[in-house]
Amino acid sequence: MSVVLKTPSTFQQYKTLLRKDLEQEFRTKEMITSMGIYALLVLVVFGAALGQTTQALDLLQVSGGLLWTLIVFTSLLGLNRSFNHEKEQGCLEGILLVPLDRSVIFLAKATSNILFLLAVEVITVPLFYFFFLTAVTPGESFWLLVLPLLVGTIGMAGIGTLLSTITVNTRGKDVMLAVLFVPIIFPLLFACASATTAIIVGAEGAMDVFYPALLLAAGYDVIMLLLSWVLYDFVISA
Amino acid sequence: MQAAITTKKLSKVFGTRKAVDNISLEVPQGAFLSIFGPNGAGKTTLLRMLSTLSRPTSGTAKLMGIDLKEDADKAREHIGLISHNSMLYPDLTAEQNLLLYAQLYGVQNPHERVMEMLEAVELKHRRLDVVRTFSRGMTQRLSIARALINDPDVVFLDEPYSGLDPHAVEIFDELIASQREGRTFVMVSHDLQKGFDMCTHALVLARGKEVAFGPKEEFEFGAFSLLYRETVGMGVS
Repeated sequence: MSVVLKTPSTFQQYKTLLRKDLEQEFRTKEMITSMGIYALLVLVVFGAALGQTTQALDLLQVSGGLLWTLIVFTSLLGLNRSFNHEKEQGCLEGILLVPLDRSVIFLAKATSNILFLLAVEVITVPLFYFFFLTAVTPGESFWLLVLPLLVGTIGMAGIGTLLSTITVNTRGKDVMLAVLFVPIIFPLLFACASATTAIIVGAEGAMDVFYPALLLAAGYDVIMLLLSWVLYDFVISA
Repeated sequence: MQAAITTKKLSKVFGTRKAVDNISLEVPQGAFLSIFGPNGAGKTTLLRMLSTLSRPTSGTAKLMGIDLKEDADKAREHIGLISHNSMLYPDLTAEQNLLLYAQLYGVQNPHERVMEMLEAVELKHRRLDVVRTFSRGMTQRLSIARALINDPDVVFLDEPYSGLDPHAVEIFDELIASQREGRTFVMVSHDLQKGFDMCTHALVLARGKEVAFGPKEEFEFGAFSLLYRETVGMGVS
């Protein structure tokens, strides 16, 4: 059989790479399971630590920060694992041998990381509510919580994908990723925690804090994701 | 006829160490080039540059007439690489792995091509099994199918025999022999006898430099193995 090659579109290659990540995860459930169990354990630890809190207002005011602590550490665990499959058996080199734009690899990997993190959040955020917010009364616009969660998850998974590509070949990659990840996402983390706290507390003027914080987070996402996308060819080829 | 591979003063520097130092070669189409040399001689670095996985520090390299620096993507359409790493996802099935690469390369009728390659490496009956369950020999056979899925003109073999038992080596050799027609092979191997038997051209490297290069007819095996032993004694750069 003579083989005819027709250069696939960037979108086709993106879909193929994304499907590969999803197929692997559906088979192994490695990332979602480990992130999910870790998130549950962190919730239990938070529960024990905050068990002595007597004032409902205190709990409302710290819950936004607690939720983002949970998300940051859970995403770190997932990001550390996201390139394990690529390094095993030199698969990443196999992909690099294919004539494709390197930024497609970034987009596909970032998308799969976003989806896995969102899947874990779908389970852990209701549990977080059940653990910490049933005894208190969150703000009426509690449903708006989905916006900072979405914006924060996209930013963390995107930036984290670039950083995990950088650290995957380093010694002590787990620590190295955390050392790079936390300072770089700090503005995003701060903005998302502010927006989340404003929504949960729901005090008068909460929206005056919520929308600027959300805009800051979204702006940071756009800049950092564009930067990651542009830098990816250099990073992955180094 | 245009050469399959041409390099001019190709060099690669890591820090202060020259891993590959001014290598100039011309490998004709259909040739089988075996690259020999001690550990650290620059064999794998040269192979990685020729297969576009690493960028040269200086010099030029062309593959099927395409400059690797100027149009690496175009050159990649002509390249297949088999190494001791299978480059296969252990948690995907044999079929999923080949289909992934076929679709990324833009192979027309990818399903048919995948079945054809699975049949060629006698793994069609295991197509729905995940690669993690395969023996080393089976994985390496599937790796051949992966490397040939885009019907490359030039196939690089980077120590492909490591970890294979004698039976798997025999099957691997038969498969490679069946794929020789119309293709150029470049192999890095520590097995002097096997590498010499298979090749039409030989290259000996030491400390990143070319010690000997030419068609096999120019070398007599006894003298060649003596040269190789002396080269090994030269150590690394």
